[in-house]
Amino acid sequence: MGGFSKSLTGRVILRVDEVEKGLLVQLADQVCEFVIPEPREHVDPLAAIVGIDMDAEFPDDPAMARLFPDAYPDDPEASLDFRRFTQRSLQEAKLAHARTVLQTLSKSGEKVTLGSGDIPSWLGFLNDARLAIGTRIDITEENHQELADLPEDDPRHGMFHVYDWLTYLQESLVQLLLPHK
Amino acid sequence: MSSQLDVALPETVADVDRPWITLVWNDPINLMSYVTFVFMEYFKYDRAKAELLMLDVHEKGRAVVSNGTREEMERDVAAMHGYGLWATLKKDD
Repeated sequence: MGGFSKSLTGRVILRVDEVEKGLLVQLADQVCEFVIPEPREHVDPLAAIVGIDMDAEFPDDPAMARLFPDAYPDDPEASLDFRRFTQRSLQEAKLAHARTVLQTLSKSGEKVTLGSGDIPSWLGFLNDARLAIGTRIDITEENHQELADLPEDDPRHGMFHVYDWLTYLQESLVQLLLPHK
Repeated sequence: MSSQLDVALPETVADVDRPWITLVWNDPINLMSYVTFVFMEYFKYDRAKAELLMLDVHEKGRAVVSNGTREEMERDVAAMHGYGLWATLKKDD
């Protein structure tokens, strides 16, 4: 298993086996469902066009709360206003990222080639998936080893290993994008 | 500080003059390289500045990454949330 690399012609590629590809598809599907649960219908079409969601509230789910934090920590009212005017379009953007990843994967075999337009979506998707999983398994800066050592029958065991793999993928992609010093 | 000067500065005047700031907070998930990349890509900071800010976030728990009007800072905060960074805004004091 390798991370992202650059081809001789400078294209960003990722080599995956069937299992890894299936896992990425599954994760992208889950991110779609997570950021905007089905059915994806807008109550107010006009508000939807301009990206306003008057029903937006502080999310109960910690992973959602991490993806969409309060903008004004000391001002719940201003935070709610901000949420109503921004959250819907952020959710739509995250959904679009995950869908782009699904498209890239559906037209690829074991060699996944990212067009330059796909790169921001892949980066965004990898980060959203890591934020969602990392929050679910309560990751901290100190407990990586503890999570890595969990017995296989612990539900967090598998999630941690997926998280770890996504971290590796994201790091390899960012390193390709950062300009050399 | 003298308290004599501390009289009846109209709140509205002070409000107009005080810029707002965008803060990015440390979290255990975002990669240091990714945070650096975001600061370079969105704010167009050079790598040295982006890395300094990233290290501030990592070591001090937060960093001021931009300042301006409230509207501008709301735009920056929404953009940071789009990248998955934990950002907030407040009036500078």
